[in-house]
Amino acid sequence: MGLKPIVLGVCAAALLLADGIAPLPTYTAAERRHWAFQPRKQPVVPVFSSPADRKWVRNPIDAFVLDRLKKEGLHPSPTADRVTLLRRLYYDLTGLPPTPQEIEAFVADKSPDAWTRRVEALLKSPRYGERWAQHWLDVVRFGESEGYEYDTHLPDAWRYRDYVIRAFLNDKPYDRFLTEQLAGDELSPEEEETLIASGFNRLGPIRRNAGNQEVASSRNEVLTEMTNVVGAALLGVTLGCARCHDHKFDPIRQADYYRIQAYFAAVHLKDFPKATEEEMAAWKAKVEPIQAEIKRLQAEMKKLKDQAGTEELRKELQKKVEEMQASMPPPLPVIHTVTAKPEERTAIHILARGDYRKPGDRVGMRPLGILLPDGTPELPESATKPRLELAKWITAPDNPLTARVMVNRIWHYHFGRGIVSTPNDFGRMGSRPSHPELLDWLANEFVSSGWSIKHIHRLILNSNTWMQSSALPADDGLRKLALEKDPENRFLWRANRRRLEAEAIRDSILMFSGRLNLKEGGPSVMVPIEKELVNALYKPSQWVVTPDETEHRRRSIYLMNKRNLRLPFLEVFDQPDSLVSCPRRESSTHPPQALELLNGSLTNTEAEHFAARLEKEAGPDLRRQVDLAFRIVSGRPPNARQLRESVEFLKSRPRREFALAMFNLNAFLYVN
Amino acid sequence: MREHVRITRNRREFLTDAFCGFGAIAFAAMLQKEAVAAAVNPLAPKPPHMKDPKAKHVIFLFLAGGPSHIDTFDPKPLLNKLHGQKRPKEFGEVKYQFINSESRLMGSKRTFHRCGKSGIEVSDLFPHLGECIDDLAVIRSCQGDMVVHSAAQYQLFTGRIMPGFPSMGSWVLYGLGTESESLPGYVVLPDPDGALEAGQPMYGNGFLPAVYQPTMLRPGKRPILNLDLPQGVSLDERRQTIDLIRNLNEADMDPADEEFSARLNAYDLAFKMQTEAPAVFDLSKESQKTLEMYGVGKEPTDDYGRRCLLARRLVEKGVRFVTVVSGGGPGDLQWDAHSDLEENHTRMAAQTDQPMAALIKDLKQRGLLDSTLILIGGEFGRTPESEGGKGRDHHNYGFTFLMGGGGIKGGIVHGATDEIGLMAVEKPVHFRDLHTTVLHQLGLNQDALSFMHQGRRERLTEIQGQVITDIIA
Repeated sequence: MGLKPIVLGVCAAALLLADGIAPLPTYTAAERRHWAFQPRKQPVVPVFSSPADRKWVRNPIDAFVLDRLKKEGLHPSPTADRVTLLRRLYYDLTGLPPTPQEIEAFVADKSPDAWTRRVEALLKSPRYGERWAQHWLDVVRFGESEGYEYDTHLPDAWRYRDYVIRAFLNDKPYDRFLTEQLAGDELSPEEEETLIASGFNRLGPIRRNAGNQEVASSRNEVLTEMTNVVGAALLGVTLGCARCHDHKFDPIRQADYYRIQAYFAAVHLKDFPKATEEEMAAWKAKVEPIQAEIKRLQAEMKKLKDQAGTEELRKELQKKVEEMQASMPPPLPVIHTVTAKPEERTAIHILARGDYRKPGDRVGMRPLGILLPDGTPELPESATKPRLELAKWITAPDNPLTARVMVNRIWHYHFGRGIVSTPNDFGRMGSRPSHPELLDWLANEFVSSGWSIKHIHRLILNSNTWMQSSALPADDGLRKLALEKDPENRFLWRANRRRLEAEAIRDSILMFSGRLNLKEGGPSVMVPIEKELVNALYKPSQWVVTPDETEHRRRSIYLMNKRNLRLPFLEVFDQPDSLVSCPRRESSTHPPQALELLNGSLTNTEAEHFAARLEKEAGPDLRRQVDLAFRIVSGRPPNARQLRESVEFLKSRPRREFALAMFNLNAFLYVN
Repeated sequence: MREHVRITRNRREFLTDAFCGFGAIAFAAMLQKEAVAAAVNPLAPKPPHMKDPKAKHVIFLFLAGGPSHIDTFDPKPLLNKLHGQKRPKEFGEVKYQFINSESRLMGSKRTFHRCGKSGIEVSDLFPHLGECIDDLAVIRSCQGDMVVHSAAQYQLFTGRIMPGFPSMGSWVLYGLGTESESLPGYVVLPDPDGALEAGQPMYGNGFLPAVYQPTMLRPGKRPILNLDLPQGVSLDERRQTIDLIRNLNEADMDPADEEFSARLNAYDLAFKMQTEAPAVFDLSKESQKTLEMYGVGKEPTDDYGRRCLLARRLVEKGVRFVTVVSGGGPGDLQWDAHSDLEENHTRMAAQTDQPMAALIKDLKQRGLLDSTLILIGGEFGRTPESEGGKGRDHHNYGFTFLMGGGGIKGGIVHGATDEIGLMAVEKPVHFRDLHTTVLHQLGLNQDALSFMHQGRRERLTEIQGQVITDIIA
């Protein structure tokens, strides 16, 4: 269809109107004073005089936390028991629980390095990579379809997911990790790994439409997605707010927004073929006859279009077309990535109200002005590898945001709340850090360790802060004091109890039944779902269930993440929608969750298998079955009342109903 | 400017984050009193922002695909005169999805009749709805920003042209909770013919907690997901399992633990839904007269009539927001009349006219219309030009929406398009104004109904909307 004269007219007019060059903004001293834009300090680790305090402080994390608690007149909670700690550790690092055998072995292991050895073993486990990759995928809004009406699948999007899993597992230095994602194609355009990584730039939903193409607006949407995520995910600032106007609260001018966007001016989506020429030829030979047949059917339909009484026939033909479409061989492997096309550079203007039809002054590439000396010039348009330049600036050791933002995310996932409780927003409207010195100390550690994420895990997991019990203090006075002074536990006088995330619940249930398929990596799995839900898709034929049934029981991170079809089980437990960056998950409680756990197909199917497993492993004795069930799902034996109630129930009710009840225990669904 | 002013996403965060956490003390006290119910059941009814709002419920009769304003509620005699000509330049330039500037104007084949005491003209596609015109405000000057389905549907439902934002229904549920414990608070009744372009994200809760997600009622005997027991399990047996769950959970919890109490309560509510909700879906208790009124039991009104009747039954039970969708699947099964407007609109109107009118009359006779806001319309209208000789393309520059009940003045026309139905020229009403008005009628303020997300205080209306005061009774 080509461009319509109107559109060309609009574009030409835009160019004529707007060849002014935007001046460089300046920032006031007050604006520059905001804590997050200040260079990191070198905080002095507090020291304590009393032996009890010294004993409690295992590493500097504890020193900073204890110092703050003391200032608030609060006291840390005792260390949790070993079973609680182990279960917390397993869920934190792997998203799966320890087995009863692992718990027993750990409790029995009295060697001084028993804990460290467990931490190290789990950090090496592929389960760790899978767990922490999911956190990153939340933040970068990873999805495997384009969204909007076509919601076209990206059959090779899993390569990026696997890349992230590998990166976490191998502790890829975070500066390198970000650089590859922002600029992998510039960094080494021949290397698969980096090309996959730079698929990051196209992770957002993409609107496509039939008919007259809205070239300028579609391009603008793509650039908006590329720009906003840099702010939210990498820098922890609400850059996107400055798209339509100067940021209302933070010193981010509209010009800053478009100067960041300018780094992406020449970036275009690219599917980089992985197949050989022969493979491509063979594929073409298969596809061409199918396409020809589709064309023929469509022509036939068109002929019938105006004839009365042919509706049925047309429907039938339409069905055939869909069948033919479904019978297409899977597309050849590609890498969904981006590439720079300098000859197709979009001129970047400041857009009034963010409207692509209202371009103002032109801007070039420059990082956020608030973090630069006033008057820092733009990068010339001729600069080669501009995104690499942006990445260098973002990952510079003295960038005040990048390291703080990432250590805060790590902290958030370990404690259920960040030192800054708004992990995507370190601006004025975000929350202030509860422990600013600790945040800086951790960020310094992060950078000096070579941006090692695992180094931060180790520091946290070997701190007494993390090891505290989540229980309220037994002492009435202490309890009242803590609840009055800090009911939200900002200062960490205890551990936070957390509900398991959707994926952890599903994966654990499959593990309990003994049926979790731990296969790693590869194309995503489409699980069978109710016909009604598939029919609720605009194109139901997109959902092609993976034939191998064992695949349906893989970890949730390997399930197809389709933007327009959320799996009910995951959705009901607050899985994010992969349309916008999700820095922290909601944890809601409502009846449809109970209905899903009670009546859903996953729990009912797995309850059968879990029941069989209990009988097989514990023998016919009901007490032993109950004991085993509790140890599997909650890590500990039942208390007297639970044992009594359960045995009584089992005397008259089927074991599968008991097994189902076990999936509904708070002691399973929450981590203490 | 009030935009972005509130810094926290709810009272809980406000009180705990504000004043370096001193507000936490107030927070603890508050929990003791008014918020106990909300803590145990997050969907418990909440007071609106304004006193004594007119509307308590909303029924949105969504005509998907974009019904033609020119052939339904916005007669254009001049268009008929100019039939076959190119659009005169003075009407202005627009951009459509498919047709181009070479296309010719196409007059309407419909006849319009003056209806009701108000004498508002309604086309012969909607004889039944014409009988209700004195209960409806006809807004002839609606505008949206997008000319393609998915983006326009997102904007109509969520205020944004992109997916990922909460829909009207989720916002309203977030603001008001629901009066029904045994039913979900926000229900969508999709067309069994299939889904729409914008798909699931259009109805969804976006970044709001999952508790505000829509419940999609599915065609067939099992309308609510997971409401049915697995095969071979009786309700009584399941009750025993639920009792066991309660006992086992109570055996190791602190009775004062709010979150766990909420979990226990969720099981009770789930069970209540399981036992009470099926009765709502059983239309056999309705009188023959009612069934006939809605066109249940005869074609082509049976399916849509059932869903309209169900909407009334849900609202009667206290459900806050119900969306009934007409149109689904391929464009021709929606109001998306690209190829043959006559065939498409005659068929779609025949399915919906009688049931829509029945719903309004039925609500009225039961005294529910005053408290139930009715919205009728699509994501855009259709072009004055023809597409391929008999159809019309998408058109977002001026089209019609109907509102009624819930404190809306009936029997009035608001705004106008130009003489060929191209542009809204009088009192234009953007989707954001519709949203603001819906919230206003429910006693909700567009600024106060907000949720902190990624450092931005998000609300249904991205840009400040205006209440359409002219149509408020």
